Amino acid sequence: MPLLSLEGVSRVYSARRGFLGRGVPVRAVDHVSLAVAPGQTLGIVGESGCGKSTTGRLALGLELPDSGEVRFRGAPLPPPGTAAWRAQRAQMQLVYQDPLGAMDRRLTIAAQIVEPLAIHGIGSPAERGDRLAALLRDVGLRMDQAERHPHELSGGQRQRAVLARALASDPALLVCDEPVSALDVSIQAQIVNMLTDLQAARGIAMIFISHDLKVVRQVSHEVAVMYLGRVVEQGDPDAIFADPLHPYARALVSAIPVPGPRRLPRIVLTGDPPNPADRPTGCAFHPRCALATAVCRNEDPALVVRGDGRRVACHRADELARAAA
Amino acid sequence: MMRFLGLRLGRALLTIVLVVTFAFVVLRLSGDPAMMIMSPEAPAEAIAAFRKAWGLDQPVWVQYLHYFGAILQGELGQSMRDGRPAILLVVERIPATLALTIPALILKVGLGIPAGIHAALHRNSLTDRLVMAGAVAGFTVPSFVLGLLLVLLFAVQLGWLPSGGQESWRSAILPVITLGLGGAGILARFTRSAMLEVLGQPYIRTASATGVPWRRVVRGHALPNAAIPTVTIVGFMIGSLIAGAVVVESVFSWPGVGRLLVVAVANRDLAVVQCILLLVASTMVTSNLIVDLLYGVLDPRLRAGGAAGAH
Amino acid sequence: MSATALPILAPPRKRLRMPALVILAIGWIAAILLIAAFADWLRPYGITTLDLRARLTPPVGFGGTMRHLLGTDELGRDVLSRLIVSIRISLVIAFGATTIAAVLGTTLGFLAAHFRGWVEQVVLMLIDFQASMPFLILALSVLAFFGNSLALFVALMGLYGWERHARIARGLAISANAQGYAAAVRQLGARPGRIYLYHVLPNIASTLIVAGTLSFPEVVLLESGLSFLGLGVQPPMTSLGNMVGYGREYLTRAPWILLAPSSIIVLTTLSVSLLGDWLRDRLDPTLS
Repeated sequence: MPLLSLEGVSRVYSARRGFLGRGVPVRAVDHVSLAVAPGQTLGIVGESGCGKSTTGRLALGLELPDSGEVRFRGAPLPPPGTAAWRAQRAQMQLVYQDPLGAMDRRLTIAAQIVEPLAIHGIGSPAERGDRLAALLRDVGLRMDQAERHPHELSGGQRQRAVLARALASDPALLVCDEPVSALDVSIQAQIVNMLTDLQAARGIAMIFISHDLKVVRQVSHEVAVMYLGRVVEQGDPDAIFADPLHPYARALVSAIPVPGPRRLPRIVLTGDPPNPADRPTGCAFHPRCALATAVCRNEDPALVVRGDGRRVACHRADELARAAA
Repeated sequence: MMRFLGLRLGRALLTIVLVVTFAFVVLRLSGDPAMMIMSPEAPAEAIAAFRKAWGLDQPVWVQYLHYFGAILQGELGQSMRDGRPAILLVVERIPATLALTIPALILKVGLGIPAGIHAALHRNSLTDRLVMAGAVAGFTVPSFVLGLLLVLLFAVQLGWLPSGGQESWRSAILPVITLGLGGAGILARFTRSAMLEVLGQPYIRTASATGVPWRRVVRGHALPNAAIPTVTIVGFMIGSLIAGAVVVESVFSWPGVGRLLVVAVANRDLAVVQCILLLVASTMVTSNLIVDLLYGVLDPRLRAGGAAGAH
Repeated sequence: MSATALPILAPPRKRLRMPALVILAIGWIAAILLIAAFADWLRPYGITTLDLRARLTPPVGFGGTMRHLLGTDELGRDVLSRLIVSIRISLVIAFGATTIAAVLGTTLGFLAAHFRGWVEQVVLMLIDFQASMPFLILALSVLAFFGNSLALFVALMGLYGWERHARIARGLAISANAQGYAAAVRQLGARPGRIYLYHVLPNIASTLIVAGTLSFPEVVLLESGLSFLGLGVQPPMTSLGNMVGYGREYLTRAPWILLAPSSIIVLTTLSVSLLGDWLRDRLDPTLS
């Protein structure tokens, strides 16, 4: 049974178009179905505005979906703000993009790392000291670093601290929303390796949200590519990166800088980035797709499961697969 | 723009309604008006008749509606002391108050704003320090202290000016100065910081660096932009004219609305107090509205449809 | 590599440089606080003790005696003693009022930030209402309707300036909630009480304190103004404004009766304002 499952989940915001305009519905997430297996990582990639952060929030139950259901260990999530929801936080945690903003300036790192223990009443105060030491070891921080304040540490150290805090209550699921985007590339590698090590050691499931495919590929057991609130391709990371089927996925993969001659020709997308409030008809990607046909303009492609387990939402996926084979 | 004005008008009306409600609530909460206005020893039938006459035996919300209606009709009750309609009492004192507050306002604006501008343009000079010291004095020395000191000096020691009353135009000099100086200090300080903030903006430096003469930079760029927050303060000062006059009129025994309010409060003459309360509220709301209108004229960001400005 | 490598300088520590005026201000405030605290030990006489043989005697140095350092009033009461006790009463009222306003304002600000929706609209409306009416007029109305007891008076003074604290608390709580540490702690599973009391409040405390020092002198001025008009602190109690009010009738004959409390009022409000300005410049220049 999957640890966490989103079933046909949608989230619609009402944005005002212009000063005197009426509310326009913005489908941030549109009928998304995803599942995370225990101890495995689901990667979600896409550009800004594609709904991946919102999906992460829905997965954690920080917001209620407008349709569909989110289940954790088979049971639906309690509404946010209730006591049951608060208690469940010990099981699932969020790691932020901006570690400095996520921490209280006034308190030391150590105090903030053990705060979940105090909130959920885990362990006696004496035991908490031991847990703190263990957590610091796991994320690679020293005790003297933990006694400093957030603004006295480097970006990488802060992110480690945020991770340590997220792991304090021993959660089963970790949602990481762009956790390394604000860090230097060398630090990124360290943090990503640490995440995979932690997953192997503790058996934590993860949802890893990023716009950076290289990183997502490294940590994920399954990848979902999102565009304008929908999943357009989903499957094994190595398979997708070797042979992307959806035109958007192809463009993304081709944009990854690689040393030496390119395997896939570089695809540059034409047209403007999408406006979620002004969704194109038919397939949402068709204005920018070089392969768009009349069918693409009129009909919304469904997410179809293929023989090899890959899911693609494209009318022309079969043709492209056959052509590549 | 129209939407902006509409919002402001709505808010103004809402404030007036709130003030009327406030007065009503306070009036009802403060005890039985019948017992207060008539003495406790009055015979029971007299009290009952009074209650009936004032509609005090009706349920609360009916009373509220009556109250509102009465106010809209200008029927604000009668003064306890002499039985004359409260509104007449108040209105006949307005000219006296205006005779003080309008010259004081001119003094505040005429002294405060130029001083503030000058201080901002000549930062850290002697004038700047004097202005700042004066401003600090303006809001730490209470008006009654200032007034009494002036009386002590000019009326008692020097004997140049009368110490109170309303005999001649000379009687008005000390009260006007008292009212005006304090406000001038506050206005000077405020204008100075508004100017300093504008002068520190990059576009001022750019204008000056591209060769525009400094006077034009100040006149064309700095002053108009600094005018916007200053107008707000001046508007607030206009709105609170009566409040400022309360203490000063008492110090100088000047027969204006402020003094009337103090006497009415001391005597618990509720009708008069209510009347003055509403007068102050209307003045405040009107001047705020005018300031908002001026904003719409002065601030081009608001003129352009208000998409960015209104919130 | 150069043979003489530059040593890496640690950033210079911010030395606590206080302008002389601020030091003087703090000194004055400390003196006033001590006087207020030890009023009963410091005053030579009771505030209602009459010395009918020594009515309207001037202060020492202007023809008076050491028995009454600051002279006496029309009933032979010692001005110095009354001054000392007035300081205490005025300070107590001002402190009490500022605290009430801070607690009330911060609580309402937090409620508005936490619940949003109609709660926030109501609080905003109240803030607007309070900010748009001159407080003196509102206070006078309440005094007219309710009469005059000390408890009521302090409560009334406590309503002065709450909107300042409410605006600050609401603004800072909203920004903390939206992106920052408050959202993160809520996400950890903390109850709202813990979030506000343990995290948000300590972080905004310095801003609130600065706002408090700005409104403290205004409360002193308000209270003394009302007492001067005879509508504030009532006899037999005495306050600074009270003394000025009574001293007014003897302006010509015995000006010291009102000069002494007036100077205290001015010096105290000046000191607290200077301190507050300096604190604001150091802690939070964005506060106006």
